[in-house]
Amino acid sequence: MSHANTILVRVSAIEPLTPLIKRFALSPAAGGFLPAFSGGSHIIVVMRGATRVHRNPYSLLSPPNLLDSYQIGVRRMEVSRGGSMFMHDHVRIGSELEITHPVNLFNLDKLARKHILIAGGIGITPFMAQMEDLRAGSVPYELHYSVRGPEHSAFRDRLLERHGARIRIYHDSANDFIDVEGLLGNQPLGTHVYVCGPAGMIEKVVGTARIAGWSGSHIHWEQFSAPPVGDAFDVFLAKSGVSVRVPPDQSLLEAIEAAGVDAPYLCRGGVCGECRTKVLEVDGVLVHNDHFLSSEEKESGRAIMPCVSRAQCTKLVLDL
Amino acid sequence: MLITGIKSKPVYAPLAADVGGRYHVLVGHGVGAEQLLRLVDELRASGGSSRASRRMLYATDLSAAPNAMATVREADVAHVRVFENIPALLEDFRTLLETSRMGTRLYVAGPEAFMGLVMRIANEFNLNRDEIRAEECGSRARRVHCIHCRAATESVTTNIVECSGCRRWLVVRDHYSRRLAAYMGVMVDAEMPGERPAVKDVFV
Ligand code: FES
Repeated sequence: MSHANTILVRVSAIEPLTPLIKRFALSPAAGGFLPAFSGGSHIIVVMRGATRVHRNPYSLLSPPNLLDSYQIGVRRMEVSRGGSMFMHDHVRIGSELEITHPVNLFNLDKLARKHILIAGGIGITPFMAQMEDLRAGSVPYELHYSVRGPEHSAFRDRLLERHGARIRIYHDSANDFIDVEGLLGNQPLGTHVYVCGPAGMIEKVVGTARIAGWSGSHIHWEQFSAPPVGDAFDVFLAKSGVSVRVPPDQSLLEAIEAAGVDAPYLCRGGVCGECRTKVLEVDGVLVHNDHFLSSEEKESGRAIMPCVSRAQCTKLVLDL
Repeated sequence: MLITGIKSKPVYAPLAADVGGRYHVLVGHGVGAEQLLRLVDELRASGGSSRASRRMLYATDLSAAPNAMATVREADVAHVRVFENIPALLEDFRTLLETSRMGTRLYVAGPEAFMGLVMRIANEFNLNRDEIRAEECGSRARRVHCIHCRAATESVTTNIVECSGCRRWLVVRDHYSRRLAAYMGVMVDAEMPGERPAVKDVFV
């Protein structure tokens, strides 16, 4: 649904925030304002490289009431399939990019009586916008932000200036880590926890909350897994009648798109469920990398999330 | 004349221990005592809940077994309080939730009208459906909210009832408001003043 009508934007500012993260400001090429969004929303940035198209999700980190431009933070990935490298190395002020309309898969709970936000590294970005919403309200909130070392704490000054004592920054380099058990073990009723960061951090927070007896409706996390690389394989798209080769460093969804077939998506990170596709035939195993399908669904082999998942097979037929 | 099949009528299920919780708050009224005591046994048997993790509030009434109060007082919980009436229980319940921590599960057993009042307080504390279990038992009498004068009429067992506030005759609908903890009552003879169906016991 979202990719049908993209918005053309022009990069209006680029600022290095840490040795690895750059902030980009994207202004509508046609002038005027961008669509309204709520804290926690993301967009997909379409990058047309020389040899291939990248589509990566990025959380909007600008205040939701500023719509003359969106801001995103892009971390340069050490092992990259190209998207973040493209942003870092090829995008300049004045470059044109396409973006999708914002979608929010990481909403703040409106009935919460307290919010605890836990960020690791680049996972801070959705919270930047959310905290602007929280700052305007009356519900208590606090941010626990873990980074490798002082030079990696993007937005530090801005956060402290806007939110003061509600912010606590932890440096791995100083052996200062978030005490998740202590934090979640003694919170008032109606508290919600939100976590965004590396997979290990999300697992730790979700697991600790569960052990402390928190019910699922109070635990929120967002993780856009980048599509992992894997072996090349072939897929036949039954409705379109085309056969597509998926190379090791391209996702199934990207390969389908490159072949000119339109497939649905929202998050491109295995969380939203939008890209769910019926598997008509498979001779081999599906490699599920998503956080959406239940384990029974994964085992059944009848559905796949092409944005992050792959197959090790001699034959794969999809209902596309 | 009764408007049934409306979705807002709450659905309840037999109480069962939720071993995912760390603290357990049990609240009951009248015949609900039996359900609460059965649940205490179940929580004990599950091994995942210590005596210290369980708290119980109970309000008695004439529907309860004669020895209900005594048995409730002996329950294997860290803290038990028994009340003569529902408002006193609700006040204590609110205080208990103010100091309760995340990881709490709430179990409610009693007549529906009682449960509605408990749930309304639980909602204020943002206790969600996955933290609450409720079992309806005892009287099906309804608390009725007059949409004309907003007065509540308690313990309604009949299809139509005279409003305690404005004295209009109200038809008791299945439309339930969680905010008001009551079923909606709408004037019965709006079109034909004085014409109303016979009064019948339906919520017993
Ligand atoms: S696009 Fe969201 S799960 Fe695939």
